Amino acid sequence: MSASTFRARALRIDLTGAIPFILLLIAWRTAPSASGMPEYMLPTISAVWDKAVELIGNGQLPRNILDSLGRLFFAFLIGNALAIPIGIAIALNRHASDVLRPVLTFLQSIAGVAWVPLAVIWFGIGMGSIVFVIANTIFFSTLYNTITGVEGIPKVLHRAVRSHGGHGWQLYRELILPGAFVNILLGLRIAMARGWHALVGAEMIAGTSGLGYMTMEAVQWYQSQTIVLGMLCIGCLWLAMDRCIFRPIERRTVVRWGMLRP
Amino acid sequence: MSAAALSSAGRSAPPARRRTISPRLWKGALGLLGVVALWQASIPLVGVPEYFYPSPAGVARAAWRLVETGILPSYIGDSLVRYAAGVALGVTLGVGLGVLIGISARASRLLSPIISFFFAIVEVAWIPLFVLWWGYGFKVILIALTYIVFFPVLYNTILGVRTVPQVLINAALSLGATRWQLIQEVTLPAALPSIFTGLRLGAGFAFRGLIFSEMIAAKSGVGYLIFEGASNQQTDRTIVGMIVMGLLWLFIERVYIRPLEALTVDRWGLATRAEDRE
Repeated sequence: MSASTFRARALRIDLTGAIPFILLLIAWRTAPSASGMPEYMLPTISAVWDKAVELIGNGQLPRNILDSLGRLFFAFLIGNALAIPIGIAIALNRHASDVLRPVLTFLQSIAGVAWVPLAVIWFGIGMGSIVFVIANTIFFSTLYNTITGVEGIPKVLHRAVRSHGGHGWQLYRELILPGAFVNILLGLRIAMARGWHALVGAEMIAGTSGLGYMTMEAVQWYQSQTIVLGMLCIGCLWLAMDRCIFRPIERRTVVRWGMLRP
Repeated sequence: MSAAALSSAGRSAPPARRRTISPRLWKGALGLLGVVALWQASIPLVGVPEYFYPSPAGVARAAWRLVETGILPSYIGDSLVRYAAGVALGVTLGVGLGVLIGISARASRLLSPIISFFFAIVEVAWIPLFVLWWGYGFKVILIALTYIVFFPVLYNTILGVRTVPQVLINAALSLGATRWQLIQEVTLPAALPSIFTGLRLGAGFAFRGLIFSEMIAAKSGVGYLIFEGASNQQTDRTIVGMIVMGLLWLFIERVYIRPLEALTVDRWGLATRAEDRE
């Protein structure tokens, strides 16, 4: 096959994938006027752009984004700092695992936005309650993956390390942390995804700032430009975090070690 | 996202462990009772108002009142109807489009990019726009749940359809199968384990989505109970709602999802776990 055929094929693939986007943009451009949908329900593209310029100009959009990211960051640190040691401890102790498993399964099944109303009573509306809910979400996600990771280490390796005189800290450094690492790392990415969903949800219910708050608040004022802008920010930020933080980490570690297909 | 690792609840214990199931059950019950006992014992120690930190006894009373007045059963019914409708619609769309994209390279080229785009805009972000368009109510919840279930089912269906062994397809074709027969007799059954993996993931996400969307957009249901209790300082009701939510999910998971999985994945031994898909 000649090079030009290849190029033509590559070009065609790109264009094929673009067709639905073009149709979507055309529909977005024409549907409101054609169906008589008022502008407050579906903003024009230029209105969204104007809104973006306005909100960046007066600092509202950057501030809301920073608030959301800051909460996610804090909650991610707290949740994982608790979940990883506790997960390892539970996985290594058969009795603790048996006693705690049903409790944890139950708490895991309600982890997330369901805690928002209670968190608001305990910590008031705003930062405290939202960080609590996200940390709770992240904690249970990571906890489960840590336990799975540690329990997945073959028993024979435990015996091997012990029979070579490994004990205490050595056992953790040489066996448990490396052995559970893949699961924990994959778990962190999932925890981040769940945390992000829960964050946006929690801000919608009980926020005073943040992207979720900005988007939901706009409903009351029929500001569809702000809503669409918020949606785009939520989607793009998540993609950016996943592609720029977690993908490279995975590529450099688990994929390179051949533990996961790219 | 790595779909296999996303399934949150534990896989069923390997058969060898079954013999030890009764001490484990006993210890597990001990753990649950211990938590309730600690909670009750901590009430006088903490010494805060009941609405701030309700006691197990108070929660039990609230639960009984909610059952007696018929509120709780009707809320659970409302939640389950919404959930079932959303999951059913999401699975139908996800399997339909998944088969189409899985067997047709052209459809895949055409639709994959835009589907990835919509996948990135998480369902939570759509809810304000849906509320603006349709107001609060069933429609918003139904569409949100459909949206949540759609993606994991779609991606796992595509995976399942693409990993059908070519030998089976050739065999069916050489026996004179038409395109439709091929889908019906070969593609769908072979993709079924993968589809159920997607269903299991989607069902889990959708349950949380149900509670969330009921908090925002409903006037009944378990999510509404959780939300409403807290805003009226009837925190005991909120906790009843949370416990019911947990029990309901465990019930759905054990009674519907696991048996489905066992029926297909385990018995046929065809399990192709979903790898990294985007």
